[in-house]
This record gives sequence, structure tokens and C-alpha cells, in this order.
Amino acid sequence: MILSVSFEEICYNCPPYRFEAGTPNIAGAIGLGRAIEYVNAIGFDWIQQHEQMLLREATSALEKIDGVRIIGTAEKKVAVISFVMDEIHPHDIGSIFDSCGVAIRAGHHCAQPLMTRFGLPATARAAFSIYNTRDVVARLVAAVHKVQEIML
Amino acid sequence: MNISDELYQQTILEYNRSPRNFGKMEHATHAAHGLNPLCGDDYWVYLNVDDSGVIQEASFDGHGCAISKASASMMTMELKGKTLDEARRLFHDFHDLASGKEHPLGKLNVFSGVWKFPERVKCALLAWRAMESTVSGRETASTE
Repeated sequence: MILSVSFEEICYNCPPYRFEAGTPNIAGAIGLGRAIEYVNAIGFDWIQQHEQMLLREATSALEKIDGVRIIGTAEKKVAVISFVMDEIHPHDIGSIFDSCGVAIRAGHHCAQPLMTRFGLPATARAAFSIYNTRDVVARLVAAVHKVQEIML
Repeated sequence: MNISDELYQQTILEYNRSPRNFGKMEHATHAAHGLNPLCGDDYWVYLNVDDSGVIQEASFDGHGCAISKASASMMTMELKGKTLDEARRLFHDFHDLASGKEHPLGKLNVFSGVWKFPERVKCALLAWRAMESTVSGRETASTE
């Protein structure tokens, strides 16, 4: 932002104002406030319990399927499961999951050195959040079976 | 939409399980690297072209998904016996096919449904782009 402009001279305001020209992101700030209220109303304890419950159930369901290997088993990890399937590339897993209505991420997750460490080109990764319910675990398992049915 | 009919047709799955012409060619006259840095698919394409400009052999190695691997393998099958000009033309025809344009290409028609999965079109094209690069005098191709 400026203090004054003439044909002869331009005088900028001091930082930070000089870098904040134009209309501020008012709608964004209000939206962020509402989002924080929403999350606080649910409560972090509940969110954590819910996510960890889904993580536990999905982990135990995936562990029972032959040909599926979970990558990353730290005790206190957040509610994500990275996994690989024998003989099947994660991008094929991703496309088939998608066709089953299950959205996951597939790829190197911007962590190529870690992929090298595990000797993998990529992994598939499911993440759980407050909007997931228990039935996602069954849908996840069904999608894994569908992948094996098509690809193997 | 049934993904087995549209994307993972039997022919593609068979080429993925046992790809033909998979392996490095020691006596290649042309070689090019095809890389998709976002997804990590990574192939080398090798050609042996004789003095009259006819492709005598084609092979590939590297790693990636079923679509990219089957596409690379079927490409090497098609290239044998073609001139470099014919190979370039085939690249353009296959590019059209994978982008959803009507373009009957025999066995390669199994890729005619790929355009319905926009994120997979670059998988189908990766080895082809590498091939097009090397017959046009370049050594690398990227889908990004």
C-alpha cells in the first residue's frame, strides 16, 4: 500500500502495509473462523478417537488379506494407511478404488527418498477423517478384493 | 462405467503380467528415457534401426503401472519393421486414439477407452513419447 503517489514521487507505507495492497481476503478469514468453530464444536478428543478407531479397524481388516502389505506401522501415527499389493502398481489400485467409489491417494507422496528406502516405486494410501463412518472399512476391503479380482 | 471393460481389458492385463520385448537392448541404435516425475513411472525405450531407416528390433525396460507397461510392450510389437517416419505417424495416431478420437489401430484399440480416465492418458502415452523423442533426435520425454 502507498502513502502517496504523484508524477514526481511515490511514497510507500511501512511494512507490513506496503505488501498488503488491495482488498484483504475477508471471506477467507470469516470462512476460516467458521471452520475453527466447527472443529472446536466437534472437539479434538472426539476427532482423534474417531480417526484412531477407523485406523485400527481398517488396519486389522487389511492385515488379514493375503498380498496386502502395510507400509508404516508406528504406534502413534495419524489415521493414514499406506499399503502395497503384490504384483499390482499403486496407480492401478487407485483407478480401481476410484471405480468402487473409494478415494485414495496413490504415488510417491512427494517422498521419493522414502520410497527408495523401502524399495518401492509408489504406495497406495487411505486416510480417515471425521466425515468417514465405519462402513468405509468394509468398502475398503471390497475395493482391495476387486483390485485382486481384476489384476491377478 | 465398468473399469474392466473401459480400462483394464484382458489384452492389457496379459501384457502387464508378461510383457513382450521387456529388457535392455545392448546393441540399440536409439534409446530414450520416458519419465513421469509426478507419478514416478520410468521407462527406457530401445530401438535397433538399420541403415535404410527400418526398425529391426524394439524393446523397453523400467517400471510403472499396468497401463504404461502394456502400452510400452504393445508399442514395441508394432514398431518392428516400420520406418522412422511410419513410427512417428503411428505415435500421432496412437496419441489421437488415447485422447478419445476415432482412430482404428488394430490391436492398439484396447487403449481406446483410456481417455475416459484423464489421469491415465499420460500412462498410456509415456513410452510412446519416449519413442517419438528418440526417432526425432532427442533423448528424454516427460509427460509433465
